[in-house]
Amino acid sequence: MRSIDEAFEVFTPVPTVLLDATFHIIQVSASFLALNHLKSGECLGVNIYDLVKSRALVPDPAALQVVLEKAISTKNVYTTSSDQAADRFATSLRAMPIFEQDALLYVLLEVQEASARHERRNAINDQLDTNDTYRVLVDTVKDYAIFMLDTRGNVRTWNAGAQLLKGYKPDEIIGKHFSIFYGEDDITNEKPRRELEICLRDGKVEDESWRYKKDGSKFWANVTITCVVRQGVHIGFSKVTRDLTERKAAESRVVAAYEESAKLKSAFLANTSHEIRTPLHGMLSALTLLMDTSLTPEQRELGSIIEESGSVLLQVINDILDYSKLSSGAFSISTDISVSVPSLITSVVRSIQPALKPGVELGTSLDLNLPTTALGDPLRYRQVVQNLVANAVKFTESGSIDIHASLAEEDATSFTIRTEVIDTGIGIKNVAIGSLFAPFTQFDASATKRYKGTGLGLSICKSLAELMGGAISFHPNPKEQGSVFWFTAKLGKFYTANEVDRLSTKLDAQVLSPVPDSLALVRELAPGKRILLAEDNFINQKVMLMMLKGLGFAKVDTVVDGAEAVDRARRNPLFYDIILMDISMPVLDGLGATTQIRELGVDTPIVAMTANAMKEDVASYLAHGMNDYVPKPVDRKVLLKAFLRWLS
Amino acid sequence: MPDSTRREAEDRVRDSEEGSVSLPDLGDSIDAVTFEQILEMDDEEDDREFSRSIVFGFFEQAEQTFKKMDDALKEKDLAQLSSLGHFLKGSSATLGLTKVKDSCEKIQHYGQMKDEEGTADEPDEAKCLERIKATLVAVKEEYAEVEKVLKKFYGS
Repeated sequence: MRSIDEAFEVFTPVPTVLLDATFHIIQVSASFLALNHLKSGECLGVNIYDLVKSRALVPDPAALQVVLEKAISTKNVYTTSSDQAADRFATSLRAMPIFEQDALLYVLLEVQEASARHERRNAINDQLDTNDTYRVLVDTVKDYAIFMLDTRGNVRTWNAGAQLLKGYKPDEIIGKHFSIFYGEDDITNEKPRRELEICLRDGKVEDESWRYKKDGSKFWANVTITCVVRQGVHIGFSKVTRDLTERKAAESRVVAAYEESAKLKSAFLANTSHEIRTPLHGMLSALTLLMDTSLTPEQRELGSIIEESGSVLLQVINDILDYSKLSSGAFSISTDISVSVPSLITSVVRSIQPALKPGVELGTSLDLNLPTTALGDPLRYRQVVQNLVANAVKFTESGSIDIHASLAEEDATSFTIRTEVIDTGIGIKNVAIGSLFAPFTQFDASATKRYKGTGLGLSICKSLAELMGGAISFHPNPKEQGSVFWFTAKLGKFYTANEVDRLSTKLDAQVLSPVPDSLALVRELAPGKRILLAEDNFINQKVMLMMLKGLGFAKVDTVVDGAEAVDRARRNPLFYDIILMDISMPVLDGLGATTQIRELGVDTPIVAMTANAMKEDVASYLAHGMNDYVPKPVDRKVLLKAFLRWLS
Repeated sequence: MPDSTRREAEDRVRDSEEGSVSLPDLGDSIDAVTFEQILEMDDEEDDREFSRSIVFGFFEQAEQTFKKMDDALKEKDLAQLSSLGHFLKGSSATLGLTKVKDSCEKIQHYGQMKDEEGTADEPDEAKCLERIKATLVAVKEEYAEVEKVLKKFYGS
């Protein structure tokens, strides 16, 4: 059995000295000696202040003085907290005074090393121990894995949720590095280390990715790592992991279902439109034939009702297709095709003239500062103008419709062009103004009976104007009854004098009245007219030649590609009265050929012949400088109308 | 449109032209109105020289094009397949060979890496080639059918 003195000296685990009332050392522990690299002979009988000063021990004399004075004045144990100790070891002192009555007999002084790693571990455990409420809460949570890591990332605590989620028992995982939960790729990329670095810098890091369980299976995890700091010292990290596998699976099911339904919708629309368009075209072409025969006035009127309804139906189908493309975001706008606003407006006026009601005048006014050419999407621009003008025509029984285009703004690279359509029609009631541009609305339910349409037109215009960097709006006609619709569009600038010259065109508002016997009229016109036919497929070429011959055209030249057509036009610019141009041809296609012919300054009417009769394709032909189009297979009646438009 | 109305419209075409032609039943592979337009161009109904030359010219063109399509399919040349589809679409449309035309249009679209309608993109090249392969088989059958009908019509 060792003496108490000896036991104190050898076995006290905490570095300790026993001082008398004058602070001279009367006992010292082996651990204190080891800590300060001292021998017991150097300490015993020496004043503690002298020892600390002479050997520059930690903590410094100031801390020593504080702890001793406080302990003695309060007659109780006093500990300096580690952040009060300024040195890098974060050492704290604990002093226990021993009094008899009021007389101080001894002071027991202990040196606590807060910097040692095992102390920090204890701190974490202390924290959890001291807060039983939190510990119980954390331990009983089963849906979340909540656990602590030490500063190096080794697992320190493990709750029930962690055990359930990751499959490890506490004794299997505590002490292991948390990278055990990560996949091989993440470990190769040093993701665990980077996460801790970010966490140290930002205080917190959140991640959503795959993690692995004990059995090797993976789950989609949401992980939040938070830096834990206690009294200014970083003691580790808390980690909360949630299993989102179910949610992710549900999300992907929803996404898949949405994609499937969007695909079905698109397929349904495409199929339906195709299925409706095909018989509709058959019906409309048969009707055209019917209308060219001799009919009684009553029959002719009924026929024209069918014709009108049929073309409205066609418009509706085209609108629905456009709308579905716009709403799915699949609509793209070009920004680099040359746009001539004056010629687009002329072309709209020309196409809409026949629909004007008697007593309605259609006029255009273009500001002088309006650029003749710019860069943008001519077919979309035209579509908006066409739609607004067609609306005005539809709702105006008498008076006038004016199209006014002006330059609203100009900067170094772009023009903002404002186009207004002013009518003296029935106008729009105030209540309807708010929903004017919403899809599937017509401003007055009762109007639906009189004015046919999908109610999609203005909604499409709005989307298009916005896609062109502009806006669309409405206000009542300030002068009289009627409406003013306007839209703006941003068009790019380009500077080729040539192009400008080519595209500056005069406005002509030519009125064409419907002609009952177009065949006879064309046969009258045909002799003496010269036609250039550009068509690469010899079957189509032969049929066209025969058809033209049948119509009385004797002077037809044929070329088999666009380059030859340009060559003919170059050699003899004024020779041909009309050019019939296939679109898809070898060497140079119909669009390229048209562009080159226009660049030569040749303004011979060019009629596109195409099997791609989509509305947007046609508008792009017009934008390239073509004047008209005839769908393939070429219907003689349609061809006759084109000849009447361009040869008379 | 009800069948009777359509027939009346067609009858009217025939009646309105000099020398009405009597057409055999060409089946639903051939659009009567379009094909009739070609027949109207014949000077004499008896020999049908013009339309015969067109139709037999088409046979030759179609067979050559199918051969080129087979080659292009081997080369996996989608652009060439699309272009050939477009080419044959033009002449088959002119003759009113509806089914052949529709299939050629599909080949044109698949070759552009689109869906059947040419509306949605199909980024999978192998899938496009697979579809073209199937459509090419179908269009050859459709062609064989109209070829038989037309050869019978021209009595050869």
